[in-house]
Formats: sequence, structure tokens, C-alpha cells
Amino acid sequence: MSEQDTPSSKPDATETNSRATGGCGDPILRIQGVTKQFGGITALDGVDLTVDPGITGLIGPNGAGKTTLFNCLTGFHKPDDGQISLYETDITGKEPPTIAQQGMVRTFQIPRELADMTVFENLLLAPMNQHGERLLASWVRGEQFVEEEQTIRDRAREIAAFFELDHLLNEPAGSLSGGQRKLLEIARALLTDPDIVLLDEPLAGVNPTLEQKILSRIEDLVEDGYSFLLIEHDIDLIMDNCERVVVMHQGAVLTTGPPEEVQSDERVIEAYLGGDNV
Amino acid sequence: MAVADFIISLLTFISIYSLFGIGLNLKFGFTGLIDFGHVAYFMIGAYVTVVLTMPAGAAGYSGIGGFALPAIFSALGPLGSLFGWILGVLGGMIAAAIVSLAVGIPTLRLREDYLAITALGIATILTTVVNDEEWLFNGPFGINTVHSPLRDVFPVSVGSFTLNMVVFGALSIAVFAFTGYWLVRVFQRQGRRGKLILGVLVPLIAVWYFVLPTLSGGMVELTRNTLWLFDPTAGPNGGIDYDRFILLVSVAALGGGYWLTERTINSPYGRILRSIREDEDVPRALGKETFQYKLQALMLGSALAGAAGALWAINIGFIAPDQFAATITFYAFTAVIVGGTANNKGVILGTAFFWGIRNGTRFIDVPSQYSIQLAAARLMLIGLVLILILYYRPEGLLGEQDYDIPLPSRNTSGGTDDV
Repeated sequence: MSEQDTPSSKPDATETNSRATGGCGDPILRIQGVTKQFGGITALDGVDLTVDPGITGLIGPNGAGKTTLFNCLTGFHKPDDGQISLYETDITGKEPPTIAQQGMVRTFQIPRELADMTVFENLLLAPMNQHGERLLASWVRGEQFVEEEQTIRDRAREIAAFFELDHLLNEPAGSLSGGQRKLLEIARALLTDPDIVLLDEPLAGVNPTLEQKILSRIEDLVEDGYSFLLIEHDIDLIMDNCERVVVMHQGAVLTTGPPEEVQSDERVIEAYLGGDNV
Repeated sequence: MAVADFIISLLTFISIYSLFGIGLNLKFGFTGLIDFGHVAYFMIGAYVTVVLTMPAGAAGYSGIGGFALPAIFSALGPLGSLFGWILGVLGGMIAAAIVSLAVGIPTLRLREDYLAITALGIATILTTVVNDEEWLFNGPFGINTVHSPLRDVFPVSVGSFTLNMVVFGALSIAVFAFTGYWLVRVFQRQGRRGKLILGVLVPLIAVWYFVLPTLSGGMVELTRNTLWLFDPTAGPNGGIDYDRFILLVSVAALGGGYWLTERTINSPYGRILRSIREDEDVPRALGKETFQYKLQALMLGSALAGAAGALWAINIGFIAPDQFAATITFYAFTAVIVGGTANNKGVILGTAFFWGIRNGTRFIDVPSQYSIQLAAARLMLIGLVLILILYYRPEGLLGEQDYDIPLPSRNTSGGTDDV
């Protein structure tokens, strides 16, 4: 497989029995009235939103509540009110591992690579429910342990090649450049076979060449059945690459819709884009 | 006392405390759990094993038990009795693991510094309870009826004095030969500085062990130190005595604990433990139930501490609550940090280093009025070395170990990967 090829296609959601599943074209995420307060500050103020398959961009000025929404969606914060459903499964207030196992994983705004572990180990950690993750299996090491570990290594190499990290597999992840760390985070998230990946500013601080590479990788992956919800501050980039855009402002959703529609919304121009930008 | 006898006592000590340190390393080094209460599980392992194996109604004992497990199985002979003792050790390990589970459920959700201080508090409470509640394990009077496995079988003699000397002497020399072979291999792998350190240290130890005793005690001392497994005073024909047997048992237990920990760490399971140490949010975001893994690491590390406690009890022959002070935990932390955090070989090296200085300096002959100063100087020396290592080599003498999950080679890719 060349490095430009996509990694193995995403497994059919119906094959993963513990997953929240839905029909083709159904919204992946339904967010209803989600509220989150920190002391006297209302970070999320009744967020209502549905996220469809494909790439959805999430924009908004600093402090709009984008990352807080991500934290609530992935279980790192418990919402004070409201409901979050992944397909038809209510995941409100569930712990992050449970939500990840349901098929929604995230990356972090500041890349959180496991610095003292190698790039390869960072990737090998990701696949869910590995046989060797059980204590007794790690001692006994039967045929299943060996076969699964070999398969996981192959998949990790494949995805490392896809993200052009294959020559760095044995390097400590802490030695990667900022852009490579972002790639590693995305690669690691994809190895969990998610339905949807929440990317928190994956392109911030990334040089334009690498930026285009990441975007083209994401587009390839969408064709393979993965969906992405993407926080990004570069409006042009969001408008050019997302099928749908969500604009947040002061903890609530200001508007959602196709990029061209959002771009011409006066409230959005007022709140975020600024009159001169359009 | 021949130097060999001192070395046997020291090595037994080092083996037991290394097993204790490996348990701590699993918690602290690999999983990032700072357990300042590790000694509590050492104590629980010692007490539970002793109570499960000692006879009921022992004189001077008014606590729970004993349950005399070796006596129950003694109908099957010495091996049955040994089996009963092993069951007792397993009981001690399980008890340590269960108590750590009870401690872990409320504390493992705490931030690491709070966990450390809470663990220390709980360990202190446990030691105080054992000390104050006489109905439990005899309180401050301790237990002196510690069951010693296979005690009646020793000293073991295989025949005449000469035969004993030849058999156990050959085994002794085989151990020296293996150690020499291992040292040569280690020497070859070292850089210039490592070669220099080994090149000075090993001959110095050899002179101390072989040459100095020969100069003071003659060929008899040289023979005793060379054929160290053979004790000429054990029984009418000489043989292997109980202290040497306990050393072998301790080394075997350390080997078992080492193997188990290495197996645990070099696996997908170990990857999760290390990812928890690095940044717990990452494995959580990837669908790993990290709380369960932390709990299991705590239990496994505590069970190893429990096994060390069981061995410690038979080595000392008497247990009392004041032997399980919090300082024991900090000695182990010192050994782990000196040798190399997250390195099991480093733990053994650090423990040898720590107890070598602490017990080895007792050989220094000083006038009795200076003995208190010597004891203080010993701790100062350890403190100084710790500071120097933390300053110049914060990763410890050996640094973090490498990891590998060996897999059978395949035709397509071949070999194994370092992971």
C-alpha cells in the first residue's frame, strides 16, 4: 500500500456489537439543551445541535464554549443539564472510556502524546478491547494474544505510513514536531475504529503544506466512512473543507448550515467573522 | 563470622527487599501511583502468613489463629508441610491485595499527591491498629512462633564430609562462574565510564571477599568464602544450612516476582499502565477503563509486598508492629529512585546499593563510643548519594528499562519488534 492510500476501511458499525449504531444518513450526534456552568460562568447555555455524517466544522470566537462542548460530549465534563445521544444511545454524563467504546473519540487542543513512549507504542495502545489488555492474558499469552498483537502492529504500521510517521515509529513521541504530534493524535484516534472523531484545532500551528496533507487525509477517511467534528479558527479552511458548519457564540449555537449559508448570516458576521472578512 | 555468612545474610535481605521494591516499582515506576503506604502490605503479608501457618494456642500469643496450615498437610510429609506454608504465603498475598483493593477504591480517584499522603495515613492507621488491638495479632508483643518451612529437614547432608564439600562446593563455584560470565558480558556492553566503574568496583569487592579474609584467617577462610554454599559446621558431616536455604527461597521468590512483573509490563496490559503514568486522560479518551487498571496494579504490587513480608518473617523469626515503620517504604523509594524508576533490574541494583551501604558499613571497626556517629554517618552517606544521583542522573543508575513484546517471527516480516 502506498502512503497515499487510505488505511484499512472502517469496519462496519454493525459488526461492533457494543457500539451505538444508526442507519446511513441518520444524524450521528444529537445534542439537546446541554448546559455547563463553572462557578458563575455559563460556558454552555442550552446547546442544541445535530451532527450528520461527514465533516462538520465548529467555529466561534474564543470563549464561545467549543472545547467545553467537546469535553461534555466525550465525558471529560459532566453537563449540568441537557441530553447527548450518539445515534440512539444516550451518553449524557457517561465516563470517557464508555463514550470512546461507543464509537466517539477525541483529540486534544494541545497534543497529548505519551511523550516517554515510542510513536509505535502510542499507536499500539489505541485499538479497543485487546486480548492482551487483560492481566491473565498478559501472563499466559496464548495464540489469540500473539495473533492479535501481530494484527495490531500491522494496522499501526499501516496507519503510521498513511500519516507519514512510519519512519519515526521507534522514536519517543515527545521528540516529534508539533505537526507530527497532531498527526499522531489523529492516527491514534482512528485506530480505535470510531464512528466519529472530535478534532480540537488539529491544524493550529501546523504549516500550510502539512495542513493540506492533514485535510486531504481527513477527506480520504470520510470516504471510508469516518465522520469528523472539527474545531478550527481558520474560517477559509472550514468553509472550503466542511460540508456543514456550526457557529457557537457565548455558549450557544448561533447558527448551523452549509458553509455558504453560514458565511452570509449577518449574526455570524457580527459575532465572529467581522464585516471586513466577507 | 565468615564473610560468606555475612554475604548470605545480606543477599537474603536484598532479595526480600528487592521483591518489596519490585512491587513498589509496579505501582510507582510503571503506573505512576505514589503509594507511601506500601509497607502496610508488607506487614499484612507477614502477619497473615505467620498466623495461617503457626500452630493454634502458641504460648504467649492471644490473637487470632493460628491455623497451622503446614501441620494440616504434614501427613503428606515435608513436601506437604511446605505446600501448607506456600498456601499461607498465598493467603498473605491475597490479604495484602484485598486490603489494597479496599484502600484503592476510595483513594485512587485522588490526584497523585493526595493519593500519596492518604496512603501514608492509611498505612499508619493499619500499623497502629495491629499494635493496639491485642486480640488481632497479639499487639505490641508480636509473634515469635513463626513457622519456618522445612526447618526439620535442614541441615541437608548428602553423605560424608568430603562428598558434601564436593557437591555444595561445586554448586558454589558454578554460581561464581555464572556471576563471572554475566559480569564479563555486562562489562563488554558498557561504555568507557561503565567499564571504569566496573573495573574498579569488582576487583575491590573481590579483594574484600577473597584476599582480606585469607590474610587474617588463612586458607580456611578462603575455602569457606569460595565454597560458600557448604557450611562445615552444619551437622556432623557439614552440608547446606537453613540460612542458605532461605537465601535460595528468597532468590527464587525474587526471580518469580521479577518474571511476573516483566511479563505484565511487556504486554498490551503494561502499555496501558505506562500510559496512565504518562497522562491518564489519553487512555481514557481511547476507551481504557483506567481506574480498573490502577486498582489491579495496586493489588498486584501489594501482593508482591505481601510475599516479601512472608519471607521477611521467616528470615527474622519474629514479627512485631514496630518493625513496619513508614521508613521501610521510603527505603524502598530510595532504592527504586537510585537504581532507576521503572526498571526492575534497577530496583535490584538500588536495593543492593542501599542495603549494602546500610548493613555493609557495620563491618567497619570503630571504637564503641563512635558507633552512634557511624549509624548517623551511614544515613548521611545514603542521603548524599541520593542527592548526587538525583542531581547528576535523575533517571537513576540504569534509567527506565526498554520494553519488548517478543512474538514468534513470521515469514512476511520476521523477527520481533521493540514496542
